[in-house]
Amino acid sequence: MSARLIAVSLMTASAARAQQLLLPMDDGQQNHLKAYGLTYTALKAGMKAEWLLNYRGGAFLLPDTPELRRRAGLDGITVEVADAGQVSLIRGEIANSNMDAIPLEKAPRIAVYTPPDAPPWDDAVTLALKYAGIEYAPIYDEEVQRGDLSKYDWLHLHHEDFTGQLNKFHLGYRDTPWFIDLVQKNTVTARRLGFQNIPALKKGVAENIRLFVERGGFIFAMCGATETLELAIAGSGVDIAGAFADGSPTDDNADAKMNWKRSFAFHEARLEQSPFVNSMSNIDGHQVNVPGRRQPLGAFTLFNFSAKFDPVAAMLVQDHRSVISDFYGVTTSFSKTTLKPGVIVLAFEEGAPWVKYVHGDYGKGTWTYYGGHDPEDPQHAIGNPPTDLSLHKGSPGYRLILNNVLFPAAKKKPLKT
Amino acid sequence: MLTSRRLLSALGSRLSAFPLLVVAASSLIAQRPPKAESREPIADSTAFYRALDLEGAGKHREAAALFRKSLHGATAVSALLGLERAYHELQWTDSLLVPLDSLIRQDPREQVYRSVLLRSLQTLGRDAELRAAFERWLQDVPRNPAPYREYARLLLQRGQALRADSVLLRARTQLGGTGDFQLELAQTRAAMGQWEESAAAWRVALGSAAYLEQAAAYALTPAPTTIRDAIRNQFFAPPVLVAARRALATLEAAWGSPANGWLALRDLPPDSASAAAWLDFAQRAEAEERWTHAREALSSVLRYRRSSDVALRAAVAALNSGDPGGALALAPLTMGSVTAARAPGAPEAPTSVSFDSARVARTLLPVHVRALAALGRPATAERLVASYDRWLTPTNRATLARSIAFGWVRIGDMTRARGALTVAGPDADSSDAAGWLALYAGDLKTARRLLRTGGDASPELALALAMIARVTLDSSPALGQAFLLLARGDTAGAATAMVETSERIPDVASVLLYTAGELRLSLRDEARAIPLWQRVVEQYASSAEAPAAELQWARALRRQGDTGAAVRRLEHLILTYPQSALVPQARRDLELVRNSIPGIP
Repeated sequence: MSARLIAVSLMTASAARAQQLLLPMDDGQQNHLKAYGLTYTALKAGMKAEWLLNYRGGAFLLPDTPELRRRAGLDGITVEVADAGQVSLIRGEIANSNMDAIPLEKAPRIAVYTPPDAPPWDDAVTLALKYAGIEYAPIYDEEVQRGDLSKYDWLHLHHEDFTGQLNKFHLGYRDTPWFIDLVQKNTVTARRLGFQNIPALKKGVAENIRLFVERGGFIFAMCGATETLELAIAGSGVDIAGAFADGSPTDDNADAKMNWKRSFAFHEARLEQSPFVNSMSNIDGHQVNVPGRRQPLGAFTLFNFSAKFDPVAAMLVQDHRSVISDFYGVTTSFSKTTLKPGVIVLAFEEGAPWVKYVHGDYGKGTWTYYGGHDPEDPQHAIGNPPTDLSLHKGSPGYRLILNNVLFPAAKKKPLKT
Repeated sequence: MLTSRRLLSALGSRLSAFPLLVVAASSLIAQRPPKAESREPIADSTAFYRALDLEGAGKHREAAALFRKSLHGATAVSALLGLERAYHELQWTDSLLVPLDSLIRQDPREQVYRSVLLRSLQTLGRDAELRAAFERWLQDVPRNPAPYREYARLLLQRGQALRADSVLLRARTQLGGTGDFQLELAQTRAAMGQWEESAAAWRVALGSAAYLEQAAAYALTPAPTTIRDAIRNQFFAPPVLVAARRALATLEAAWGSPANGWLALRDLPPDSASAAAWLDFAQRAEAEERWTHAREALSSVLRYRRSSDVALRAAVAALNSGDPGGALALAPLTMGSVTAARAPGAPEAPTSVSFDSARVARTLLPVHVRALAALGRPATAERLVASYDRWLTPTNRATLARSIAFGWVRIGDMTRARGALTVAGPDADSSDAAGWLALYAGDLKTARRLLRTGGDASPELALALAMIARVTLDSSPALGQAFLLLARGDTAGAATAMVETSERIPDVASVLLYTAGELRLSLRDEARAIPLWQRVVEQYASSAEAPAAELQWARALRRQGDTGAAVRRLEHLILTYPQSALVPQARRDLELVRNSIPGIP
């Protein structure tokens, strides 16, 4: 090989190293959800990435490697090759706008609290993780009680009822085989782990989750898990479960006995003590399963945070849409009157007495709650077919879930506001 | 500025706790439509019909005034319904309450008045008054199921299934059963997700009101897959109820399985209701080109009642489903000369099915000729056509000649095939049928010219045009032979011929190999299909067929359980042919194989 050829080869290699892959996350992206998976893959492989907050819908900047290009091609992810000059221009634009570049350093270790035999299709987060190609470990009561939470950085909870009342489904489903099976399995687990009944077991699990956050873990909860986790933590020493769940009626004075200092997000909520009313408390603004109380769905608006001063909140709301159609869940939204002071509201419905998406710190960790069950299935009912995310590749509602998955990977800056 | 109407309306709603005041206020509201209560000597029926005309013209304000005039005459009930519509359009529903109050006092047992009152209160969102109106109605007619039914329906419309359920439970307690409420019960159960109970109630409701079959199917369509067998059991349970089976057939179609729909209908007892169900099903099947089901349904009708039209449709369905022998049997040419047998249990007299020869030539003959050609009996077809020749128009004759020509092709006699076309007249040589014959003979130049003008848009024509357009040769007996074998129904032979021809005509080697693979797949011979697709991908990577061949190859590998190899092929396709229209399909297949999305890989 001639000296000239060697020089050209070296120059080409050097130029390739200087190039980066820009994953736009605005309407130019063909598969937003898979873009998160590609970024996670890069981090998992030990590469560094950057999250360009508020730049082109929250774009990602990744190293230009053949493997990442290949994966992007396979998944139909739009990538743009940016050379050093273009990257420099981008950084200049970011420096002069409400934008910031957040380094992403390490793929978080992800756990999802879900029954061992549950398919991934009834939980929006597992649906999103599966589709994006992000690895996660399913864990349940046994693993949590064994102390396995310490192995993970990030934990997701979905429609578990941590009050142990199985979402009061006995009202409509007590004779259905799946519900009978659910009660039986949970009862067996409770006995095996030394608890008297399901409510006691779930309170024990809730307490371990509280400790996980206090010690620095990240939790992301959706649907009924948000509200019931709070009730279980605040009501740890109070009988808040109906007789159908634990054999004894709820404590008449339960509301007064709740210790809201222990909970993450809510306070002064009132429990729904009737076993015949399919609601847990007044935390949920929509009360979807209570005839007469059910509120119609509207649309929620993402709050526009300062990327430079509130990078954490800004990361959680990165999206190519700022107004998103609402969707029901066992818990759909969070009443403003029950929110603790200091809770960061990430998304709200204009003029409504509830909010949709909230976040906060607790001890050394953080929690994020997102109301509703499935962003692409506004009125999901038991037995409905699962959502096929290949038909919703740019789902703005699902993006919020995946923001939470990548957020622990960020090398965080201190919150300034 | 508040109008007097708004003011009084607001006053009325705030004083709902004081019924007397509300009535007084409402009386004032009632006076608001100008001169509406005047007692002019106009016949109430005349006013009513004028009101209908005005309503039809969109003049709701004027229509409302005349409907009000008609409220106290013979057309009172219809006039009230008209007034309800007009006020709804004008958003004056609250103005309906006063006339309703007086109408109900005049005739407390008239159900329509009560129903309109409940509807109006619901529209106005006056829940407490709605409930009170329901209770008053119950007091006036304590043993009548109507109040329960109407109130439950309203609650269901508002999505309050649990409350509707409570009303029905109360009705059961008070009236000693739910026989009168099966429809409401069925809808309530469906709204509550209690699908099996809903199906049971629908079945009972259909027993007395067969017209509800569409409603039943609509209500049960959202039932999840896991519960559908239980719903089927309800509708299949003895004794056989035709309306329930029809509802199930509709439901199965909505669930994506028309084949299961036929299972719901096929064993119905032969009677007029069943025949109507079979005919409806057949009509849908014909429209969707599900010829086997159409043929079965029409044959079932024929077992109950002979009908020349149905017999002809059954024969066409049989022919299109690939059963020419069945077609001949279902609609024999002698159908008109024999007395049709009366099916057991058929209530009516046998239908007269006499056919004159002209009608036979127009209707039955083309079916018979096509069937005979498909059976490889073109000589019989020719004789048959000759016997009806005097009743044939030139157009009929040309169509029949084309069918006969394909019959000769089918048995490999190209000379007589050409001869058959000649019989059709001087235009035969320029027809698309002549183009096909030229292709079979390997005369690509003629075939190229004639087939392009063909009106037929069949897949076979598209394939033939795709091939001959790319071949630079003017003649290729080998290619013609491959198409001829295909026309003769020798799929395996055609596949072999195409592979052999691919060696001789490199221009179309990729499409020949790909098509040969498809033919092997149609014979369920994937072991021979895969190497053909593989050759396309490896030897003709830049051809238009390469991505299609690779997708088929991947799918075959997936069916064989070789997931790893299937993934490699799909990945290769996506990365090698990123601009191909097949990439979205390949990506979806890849997601399924990787279990990234729900579905059966």
